[in-house]
Amino acid sequence: MNSVGQIEVSIKSEGDIVAARRTVRDAAIQVGFGITDVTRIVTAASELARNVFKYAGEGVMTWRQLEEPGRVGIELRFIDQGPGIADVQLALQEGYSTGAGLGLGLPGAKRLMDEIDIRSAPGRGTTITLKKWRMI
Amino acid sequence: MNNESISVIKVRNILMVTMPSDPDDSTISSLQNKVLGAMEQTDAKGVILDISTVETLDSFFARTVSETAQMVALMGGRTIVAGMRPAVAVTATQIGLTLKNIETSLTVDRALDLAAIERPQH
Repeated sequence: MNSVGQIEVSIKSEGDIVAARRTVRDAAIQVGFGITDVTRIVTAASELARNVFKYAGEGVMTWRQLEEPGRVGIELRFIDQGPGIADVQLALQEGYSTGAGLGLGLPGAKRLMDEIDIRSAPGRGTTITLKKWRMI
Repeated sequence: MNNESISVIKVRNILMVTMPSDPDDSTISSLQNKVLGAMEQTDAKGVILDISTVETLDSFFARTVSETAQMVALMGGRTIVAGMRPAVAVTATQIGLTLKNIETSLTVDRALDLAAIERPQH
């Protein structure tokens, strides 16, 4: 699998959530996604960028373009050194939240993207990788 | 990062509240105070929340809109969310953001019709 470029956005303030959305919007348009998929991808990024800020205080988001025969895609990765997720399966359930949210952030991001990979353990931070593909 | 703020103006007996296209969390959070304060000060009968330029409606934004509408209802007003873009509607539905018990309309124009027709002033 080829990858093109890699751009990093640091997330340590509320304003950085907006910056992450804008970066992802531009990236998704650049990869050639239509407006509905762009909106799905940006919304997923917004949920996860906010989770980084809310639960870990700071972290980074990186994105890169994916290229495979017959399809291109976008990969978003959110990395933090925060408290981690004790039970990933539970965190993916709709309505479950340890914070004051709706519990739709992580499950919502999963629904909006094609692939999600969560690496986390208590005290060891969290890395979440999302992919969305577009046939060419 | 984002200096756009929420605009609130009274038109007849309705508050026209316009969200910027990509508000940060503080701006979103200020929605409640702005709207409830304006309801009290202006004696408005309801709120039309114009989200026609909004490109991303995530769970935090949606929750704030729902809660604000509930509070407006407790103050005796109604809220009509106007102008949701098609891509935003698709995305919101997919992640289960239903905006339960909130009236919606395609455009601000139709929201004004809705407000006028269903509750005529005597």
